[in-house]
Amino acid sequence: MDATLVIWNKHMTKFLRSTEELLGLMLQSVLWVVLFGVGMRGMIGEVDGSDYMSYILPGIIALSALGGAVGGGMVLLDERLRGILKEYLAAPIPRLSILLGSATSTATKALIQALIMLVVGVLMGARLAPNPFGWLASLLLLAVFAVGFSGMALAVAAVSRSIAGYHGMIFLFNLPLLFASNALYPLAVLPGWMLTIVLLNPTTYLIDAVRGLAFGAPFTLPLPLSVAVVALFAVACTWLALSVFRRSIRG
Amino acid sequence: MTDLAIVARGLRKHYGLVIAVDGIDLAVPRGTIYALLGPNGAGKTTTINMLTTLASPTAGEAAVCGYDVVRQADRVRACIGVTFQDIVLDSDLTGREVLDIHGRLYRQPAALRRQRIAELVDLVQLGEAIDRRVRTYSGGMKRRLELARGLMTDPQVLFLDEPTQGLDPQNRVGIWSYIRALNRERGLTLLLTTHYMDEAEALASRVGIVDRGRLVAEGAPGDLVATLGADVIRVRGSGNQAHFVSQVAALPFVARVETDVEAAMVLVYVDSGSRRLVEVVGLAGGNGFVVEDVTVARPSLGDVFLHHTGRALRD
Repeated sequence: MDATLVIWNKHMTKFLRSTEELLGLMLQSVLWVVLFGVGMRGMIGEVDGSDYMSYILPGIIALSALGGAVGGGMVLLDERLRGILKEYLAAPIPRLSILLGSATSTATKALIQALIMLVVGVLMGARLAPNPFGWLASLLLLAVFAVGFSGMALAVAAVSRSIAGYHGMIFLFNLPLLFASNALYPLAVLPGWMLTIVLLNPTTYLIDAVRGLAFGAPFTLPLPLSVAVVALFAVACTWLALSVFRRSIRG
Repeated sequence: MTDLAIVARGLRKHYGLVIAVDGIDLAVPRGTIYALLGPNGAGKTTTINMLTTLASPTAGEAAVCGYDVVRQADRVRACIGVTFQDIVLDSDLTGREVLDIHGRLYRQPAALRRQRIAELVDLVQLGEAIDRRVRTYSGGMKRRLELARGLMTDPQVLFLDEPTQGLDPQNRVGIWSYIRALNRERGLTLLLTTHYMDEAEALASRVGIVDRGRLVAEGAPGDLVATLGADVIRVRGSGNQAHFVSQVAALPFVARVETDVEAAMVLVYVDSGSRRLVEVVGLAGGNGFVVEDVTVARPSLGDVFLHHTGRALRD
């Protein structure tokens, strides 16, 4: 456990020092909410009784969590490619703590980005539900989801041979996760074949739950199901990351 | 408990069909500096990786500090320090942070870490620079910081993979003096790899010559060299080299004749170079071999390498 904390701490130190990464993160958040959200709002008044900004904010937050996870995966990839991983591997620490240190720092970054996005969204006119427990539950769910995304990013980072390869593979996940979900449009308007795909996407469940919990929109999927799917997603991705990572360090 | 810091028996490592290490035996007594000398790709780094638990042997076994590198990997890790062939440092951290994080990974208490850092900064002479970001360091400073990191946990055995690769001569000599001081003052056991003959000669009390995954010769540098003969006359020339070689080999005082084809060089090992020089060179005239350059010297580890592998070791 100690080693996990040391590695988490080191990754966060590096993160807070890299001005480009921080600036990019902020800017990405602001651009999505301000440009995309405000632009679309001019065209679409409201969806299912929510104003459009409140409607799309959960999806944008989920996307930004993915952005944070991609950045976190980059750290592991960078440490792998530059050989810094060897310092950990030669130390008397559990192999698992190397991955856990990276996973927790990655999830932390994803959560930070999600929080920034939430604040900007509210400033831009998204209306939160009056129940603080709903916000808290949303954040918790978001954290679990971030762990899942981090697992995915770390699994890719554990096998990629180059930074370009990593981004190529991540890009494959990135857009479908957003567009093949209910992030931008309600489930009710989708044709049957697309609905099937969208319902296979764990992002859909996160977004539906966050919409209901934090923004007071009606749930279109049962909340317990959403929570279960998000949790399962996190467990599955963490397991994937672990098994891929184990194989990658076997010398 | 044994007085051997590193033992290996029949150590092998295959990567698919590629045989990186082809059965290496080692016995390194405590308190010695042992150098694995060989060209790039000879299997030195793979050997170090197995001894430092980063790679698992395909066959054979090894023990470091008396612990098995596979079954007791964590114990091995706790008693060794390692520096890697490439510079492996986080450029966004300060030198002090690099050392501190390393100590925390090994669960050193804060007070001990502070004390060790102060001592090591002194030893490798990083001074004020220890609080600067690593990205501002020169190559030599980075190597010194890595050396300090390897020593942070006060290891019993320190592994150095190509410790002076890419350094200028002044920095190399500096690193050498730290290595010697560590060995002399603390009795630290060091195993280093190098493809520089002068480095092995300058530092090591024992040298293992590695070629194509095998240990082809081993011993004290002086002994290895002495087996070749007292002196070597190096004759560089063009023409009928084979005829010249056969003629020279027939001389009674010649211990051995070897050729370095790439450099068009004939090496003649004799009992006394200055006394035999004229006779040896005399054989060249009129036999279709034109001498361009002659030197007389004591044999070097490079000559040992050539003798055992049939190829020259070039820097």
